[in-house]
Amino acid sequence: MAAVPILQLQAATRRLAGRTIVDGVTFSLDRGSVLGLLGVNGAGKSTTLRVIAGLLAPSAGKVLFDGCDLHDEPALARRLGYLPETPPLYAELRVDEYLTFCARLHGMRTADAHKAVDRVIERCGLGEVRRRLCGNLSKGFAQRVGIAQAIVHDPDLIVLDEPASGLDPVQAASIRKLVSELGRDRAVILSTHLLHDVTACCARVAILHRGRLRHDGALAELTDTQGGDLESMFFRIASADDAQAAA
Amino acid sequence: MSRVIARNEWRRLFAQPLAWALLAAVLAVLAYFFLLTLQGFLGLMPKLAGMPSAPGVTDLVALPLARAIASVLLIVAPLLGMRAIAGERQSGTLALLQTSGTGGAGIVFGKFIALCGFFVVLIALALTMPASLAIGTQLDWGRIATGALGLILFAAALSAIAIAASSFTRHTVVAAIVALAINLVLWMLDAGARHEGVSSGFINYLALPTHLEPFLRGIVATVDVVYFALIVAVALTLAARRLDSERERG
Repeated sequence: MAAVPILQLQAATRRLAGRTIVDGVTFSLDRGSVLGLLGVNGAGKSTTLRVIAGLLAPSAGKVLFDGCDLHDEPALARRLGYLPETPPLYAELRVDEYLTFCARLHGMRTADAHKAVDRVIERCGLGEVRRRLCGNLSKGFAQRVGIAQAIVHDPDLIVLDEPASGLDPVQAASIRKLVSELGRDRAVILSTHLLHDVTACCARVAILHRGRLRHDGALAELTDTQGGDLESMFFRIASADDAQAAA
Repeated sequence: MSRVIARNEWRRLFAQPLAWALLAAVLAVLAYFFLLTLQGFLGLMPKLAGMPSAPGVTDLVALPLARAIASVLLIVAPLLGMRAIAGERQSGTLALLQTSGTGGAGIVFGKFIALCGFFVVLIALALTMPASLAIGTQLDWGRIATGALGLILFAAALSAIAIAASSFTRHTVVAAIVALAINLVLWMLDAGARHEGVSSGFINYLALPTHLEPFLRGIVATVDVVYFALIVAVALTLAARRLDSERERG
């Protein structure tokens, strides 16, 4: 029996306020792979991820999580971890309290939740801030708590919206390492406008421009066959349309 | 999952100064009111002593205090409930709850339970004042109990209204104002009708005081319980539906 891909988008389209933000995006993702969703600002990355996380319903097309529609099977959402653009922290809670709540919210029992929180605190390097209030964290730590929140309940699919934003180069490198590790046995999809994020931790890259998927393929393939590297390809896609629009 | 959300909400409530400040301010005002009515009662005592079946301390002290608690709740419930959903929307944490597979109903119910819990504490603390009179006199415990039950149902209805108002906006101040307006309308809805001498019309049925007053007089009637339950059900359903519709509307 062929395994069902953990995530399938079938011509997923999303309109907001009369504008088509995500336009017929189709791809699928298996466990054990990291997909980088690359695009300039306003390309529709965040909206695509919100549709995948179940925050927005697709206006047309389908989004299937493990073969099911999240809307029909809300309990499936427990197997999904999502980091929005701004980390969803409760300023008045301590980091460990907050992460325990996140784990419990996704259906973990109290004892399991405490173990999971200890694990994730170690994994994300949050030991020194575990008893600090979320509201008093620096941007880098807040972002890391946000990532911890998305993985604490051990989800099968991890959706990260610009995980490395606001981090210094050292922190960004450690996050990229963490993402590659997570991608070994889970499916990870992350959005970014930084080419380096993609080359550092993604095996596969999808380029989104004006809501359309313009490229989807393995990173290695791209550098080998087409002669150009990712950078020139990204610029070609991003600027070609602008020239078209100007004409 | 409502339980997890309620517990978290409760913890957040008391980690912030707002709940403590409201609790302190409300209890201070109520204590002052209580002492005033008590003094009034003591002044009246010599006259009352000569009357057959004169009203007792429960009528003249505990009852006015219960009415004062009700009026205070009209204002406190919107203030405390305004952030329930609007605040989460503003800070971006609503996405966390919505992507956990809990659903609008679960989120709204968790928030409602936490808010009700706070008001149970507030009402219990306020009622220790008349209860303390038991040291020196005989109280009508039955009526104090029904009064407490009435106030708790009343607070539950106001909490649900505050949460519903909060679910329709991302601005907490707007949520508070809308909830306060709804509370005041429901509170004074039949004031004009009463002024004209109508006291059992449909408009009286819609007003909040019509259904709170019997509890304070010691009467627990199904119709009043149903009235409060209906407000809670309608308000929470609206809030849950609003949250669920966000998937479509964006």
